[in-house]
Formats: sequence, structure tokens, C-alpha cells
Amino acid sequence: MLSQPERVPIGRQREGSPWTGLWAVVAKEMADHLTSVRMLILEVLIVLTASGTVYAATQSLRAGAGGSFLFLNLFITAREPLPAFVGFLGLLVPLIGIALAFDAINGEFNQRTISKILAQPIYRDALLFGKFLAGLGALALTLSAIWLLIIGLGLLQLGVPPDGEEVVRILWFLLVTIFYGGIWLALAMLFSIVFRQPATAALASIAVWLFFTAFWGIIAGLLAQLLRPAPPGDALALIEQVQLELALARISPNTLYAEVALATLNPAVRALGLILPIQLHGAVPGSPLPAAQSLLLTWPHATGLIAATILLFALGYVLFQRQEIRA
Amino acid sequence: MRMFRIVGLAFTLLLALSGVSPVLAQDQQPQSAPQDLFLFTRYPVQEATIGDPVTIRLTLGSDTTPQIVRLAVRDLPEGWNASFRGDGKTIQAAYVAPKSDASFDLRIEPPENVSAGDYRLTVVARGSTREVTLPIELILKAKEESSAGLLFKVDLPMLRGTPDTTFRYNVTLKNESDQETTVSLLAEAPRGFLVDFRLAGQSITSVPFEPNESKSLNIEVKPFPDMPAGKYEINVLAQGGESQATTLLVAELTGQPKVKLTTSDGRLSGEARIGEKTAFNLIVQNTGSAPARNIQLSAVPPAGWTVEFEPKQIPELNSNQRVEVTANVQPSNQAIAGDYVVTFVARPDEGASESTEFRVTVLASTLWGLVGVILIAVAVFGVGMAVMRFGRR
Repeated sequence: MLSQPERVPIGRQREGSPWTGLWAVVAKEMADHLTSVRMLILEVLIVLTASGTVYAATQSLRAGAGGSFLFLNLFITAREPLPAFVGFLGLLVPLIGIALAFDAINGEFNQRTISKILAQPIYRDALLFGKFLAGLGALALTLSAIWLLIIGLGLLQLGVPPDGEEVVRILWFLLVTIFYGGIWLALAMLFSIVFRQPATAALASIAVWLFFTAFWGIIAGLLAQLLRPAPPGDALALIEQVQLELALARISPNTLYAEVALATLNPAVRALGLILPIQLHGAVPGSPLPAAQSLLLTWPHATGLIAATILLFALGYVLFQRQEIRA
Repeated sequence: MRMFRIVGLAFTLLLALSGVSPVLAQDQQPQSAPQDLFLFTRYPVQEATIGDPVTIRLTLGSDTTPQIVRLAVRDLPEGWNASFRGDGKTIQAAYVAPKSDASFDLRIEPPENVSAGDYRLTVVARGSTREVTLPIELILKAKEESSAGLLFKVDLPMLRGTPDTTFRYNVTLKNESDQETTVSLLAEAPRGFLVDFRLAGQSITSVPFEPNESKSLNIEVKPFPDMPAGKYEINVLAQGGESQATTLLVAELTGQPKVKLTTSDGRLSGEARIGEKTAFNLIVQNTGSAPARNIQLSAVPPAGWTVEFEPKQIPELNSNQRVEVTANVQPSNQAIAGDYVVTFVARPDEGASESTEFRVTVLASTLWGLVGVILIAVAVFGVGMAVMRFGRR
């Protein structure tokens, strides 16, 4: 490390840790997020949906609807006219992610505060990473609070504690949910770097989200039919087509998240995707999978979500580092 | 028809012409000269047991004169009692008329302390004109224990069956004495047999008998299921008053192998990884009473799975012996995580086959998990590279 500065050209000297001042940024940003009206609105929204859906679910469960795994059923039991809590999460988590980051960088530009910040002994690395971490932290905090709220409500209403398997599954689902929000956070941050107007960045993020939510499923189906046409009666070609469609659909984080929610919260789900009847020969139907096996089943999805979050952040990082700051 | 009538008429004429019919001639021939008074018994020499009274049936009759006949016994030994009984009453005389014989019993009661031997006495019947005598000989014998007491009759004294069967012997027990008695029933069976006496569906230990009554009993013999094969004898004793009867029942147990398939700790579940051979230790046990031969081990696995046994076959397994067997189960490469049922079957040459359902929890390979970790590491490495390249501006 001592010899490094000699090899680096003058003017691009790199000294000390790039993360100097990171925690200052994280603390400040977190404080900003948690006190902002925007966050308050989102929190109220999500707490209302959580308590509403989960209370409805407990009413159903107390009427004897659920079997074993009562606490997991809190998340997935729907009661008319409300959908289940996981259904709301699929919508609300991207919304929080986008709301937390769509003006992360361009907001600083517009308020002309970025040069002031960077005048401090804080590298750009630390600023961007700090903002991202603060966003992820705020998201994690909110979601953890909601998870605790749900478990507390469940304890009150059901009167039984969750067992170890359920706790593992619930925590795993929390982690995956945080990274599902992380993707949208990183995306919104990327757009806030690319676009100078926060409104444009927000709109672009929402457009991407809408694209994956509403249209990607249809497009994946069409693409699969186009790339792997299956003549009627050809079972093998049909299987290939379905598998391609599934693979394409899994590009969407929404699909990944939905599959994780399914496999984690319903222990009876043993495989995601296409299952041939021959694979089910001799299988015991309805027997719950051990939690570790469900984790392993959803591990590729979680990997995809985490890796996508990191890659989007890396992309934003590179773009930000190369940006002209003097504004 | 007419022909028949003519033949019938001729036959009748023939009979009439022959004068005396042969049937009538035969009837008249044994008829001896008419007797004024006669006395006889069909069995003038009788055997009797000491202590039992003797009853002799006498018949008195007259061919000519209706009369009252006085009855007496002459030459009666010292201490003996004799009396005449007719229609349940003690009598001294009887009235006879031609073609109306009087039948009555002579009841002789020898004293208890009489010694065995021949005794003679004479019955004297004195009518209005003449006197007839009838000598009677009694042969008294010492009392025998089993004589004239209870008698067993078994329809099928030897039965054959497996240790699972209940042996049912149909037995008729007869009280041959002329006394009421209550018979208690005892059985002497080898260890491992339960014997039950049944009469009309009820379990009994003793049963009352009228004189000369016979009852059919059911003797149910139930062996313990783990009795070894062999012949077993069961002595049945019926004891009533002073008499008793025994009979021998034989139960032949044919051995039956009973194969059981389990694990050493009784747990019938296990875990296996997709595509990987996993060994499960099974225990083949013969809980039956005969050796099991040629136990073939097989399995009914889900499609695409392979199950191999080590060893595949057990040549002989004695009763109450166990053998450890290894089942190598390889789940299909396409198996999905979760529970599958594999049925293991042990089939001996004789006897029922035993199947055990074994639940195999298939575990997904952690390889893809590792790939995921590597992917994340690559992503982090990418960020690190970006920091190295563009960092600290």
C-alpha cells in the first residue's frame, strides 16, 4: 500500500480508504429518510395494509382455515375482499424502493449541494454507497418492523408461538424481500444518476416496474412461442417451450420474488416450475419440505435478486464516478 | 289288468285248497303244555359290583288260572336286602291271569362289606295251587375305579395347524353311571398353550350331568404364536364324584415363518441426495416358528430410482434370528426435493411376504447453492473492480 501512490499518475492520487465518511453519510441519509414525509406516507400505507390483511387472515385461521404452519399462513391467507399480505408486498416493496432513491443523486444536483458534500473529506464512493446503504437500511428497518408487527399480531390472535421451522422461513422471506426492494432501490438510484430530473427518474423506474409487472409475462410467452414453436402433439417441444417461457419470465424480479414467496411460505411446495408426472411417482403429496430444503430451492432466486441488486449498484457506481460534478 | 286279477284269484284259491297254512303251523309248534304258573327272567346269572344294588327283571305268568301270587326270596345270604318293586312301588304279591303277565324288579342290595364271589338265591312264587322257584346267581366283583363312570369320546383327537390357529376338539363326555354327578374338567397342557372348555359357547370349568347323560364339549386349545413346531400332547381329565376319565389330545404345530422387515431403531425414514447412492440398514427378522428359506429382497421404488440390496437373498433364517441387510437407494436424477415412499419387500419361499414402507426425504444438491454464492462473489468482485478502477475521486 505504501508503494502504491508512486505508481499512480499525479492528479489521480488515491489515498486512504474509499469508504471514509461512509457511516456519516449513512447516518445522515437514514435520518433524512426516517423523518421525511414521503417515508411517513409509505410507512402508514404499509402498516395499514399489513395490519388489515393479517387481521383478516387471523380471523380466517381462528375459524379453522389453516392447518399446520399457522404463522406462514398469516402471510398467505387471503380473505375477501382483501388479497393476502404477500400480494400487497409485491406491489408496495418496489414502491418503497423507488421512492427512497429516485432523487438520491439528481436531488443533490438540483439543490446544488453535491459539490458542498464532496468538498468534505468524503469520496464519491462513500457518498453513493452511503446513500444506497441508507436506503437499504431504511427499507430493512421498515420491513423488519412490519414483520415484528405481524408476528406480534399473530401471537395475540392465535395464541401459539411460531416453531423453529417457521422462524427460519419467515426470516429468509424477510431477507429476500429486502433484496427484492434492493433491486428497485438500485434501479431508481441508477436512474437518478442518469437523469437530471427526479420526476424523469421516478417515471422511468415506475415504467420498468410496470413493464415487468404487467407486460413481461406476456412478452415471455410470445417469445417462447416464437423461439421454440411447438407443433400440436409434440410433447417434448411443448415442454421445451414451457421451460423457455419460465426461464424468460424469471428475468423479471417479480417472478423471482413470487416464486420465493410461494416456496418459502408454503412448505408443501417441493419444486418450482415444470414437474413431470414421472417425478411425482412415489412422492408423498402434501408432506412439508424441511426449511433447509426450501431455502435451497429458493436459493437461486435469492442469488439472482442479490446479484441483480449488486450489479445495478455497480453500474450506477461506474456511471456516477465518471460523471462531471462541477455544476 | 285283467290278467293280474286272474293270477291273484288263482293264488288265493291255491292257498284255500292247501288247507292248513304253514304260518299257523309254525306258531303252534313251540307252544308247550299249558302251565298253571311260571316265573322267569331273561338274565338269571348276573355280574355286579360290590356296593351297587342289583336289579333283576322278573316275569310272572299263568296260562290257565288267574290268581294272586305271593313272592319271596329264599337262601338270601346274611345281611343282604331284597325287595320286589313294581311300577315304582315295593310289592309282596302280584296278580296274574292268562295272557296277562306281571313284570317287576327284584332289587338286591348286598352289604358293603361283602366279599367277591358267587352267590345264589332263589325267588319263590307261591300261587293258589302250586309254587314255582327261580334260581338266580350273582357274581359280585370288587369295585373298579374307572368302571361305569365317565367316558370320553373324541371325534378327532389329533389336529394340525399353525401357531396362529385355535385347535378345536369336539369331545363327547358321557356319564355312564346311574347317578347325578358334577364333573370338573382339567387339562394338562405343555407350557405355551391355553386350554378352554366350552359348552354351548360358554367357558366352563365344571358341568353337571344327569345319569346316563352325554354332552358334547368343545375344547379349544390356543398355542402362543411363538411356539416352535412340533407335536404337543394335552391330557384332559374329567373328574366327577369318584369316577374320572382321561383322554389324550394331540396338537401338531406346523411351523410358520413370519418375516419382519424393519430397521435397527425402528425408524422408517431417511434422507438421500438426488442422484447419490445412499445406504440404509434394514433388519430382516423371523418372528415365526419355523425357519424361513430363500428370503428374496426387493423394492418398489418411485420411477427412475434404483434400489439394490446387499445381500439380495437370505438362504435361511431360523426363527427368532435377525439379519442385517443394506439397501442402497439411489434417487432419480430428476427427483424433486421432499418425501418419497419406497416400499421394501421381503418374500420367503413359504409364508407371507412382508412389505415395509420407507419414507425417503430427498435433499436437493447444494451444488447450485454454491454456484449462487460464487455468482454473488463475482458481483461483489465486479463492484470491487469498479472501486479499484474509478474509486476515490
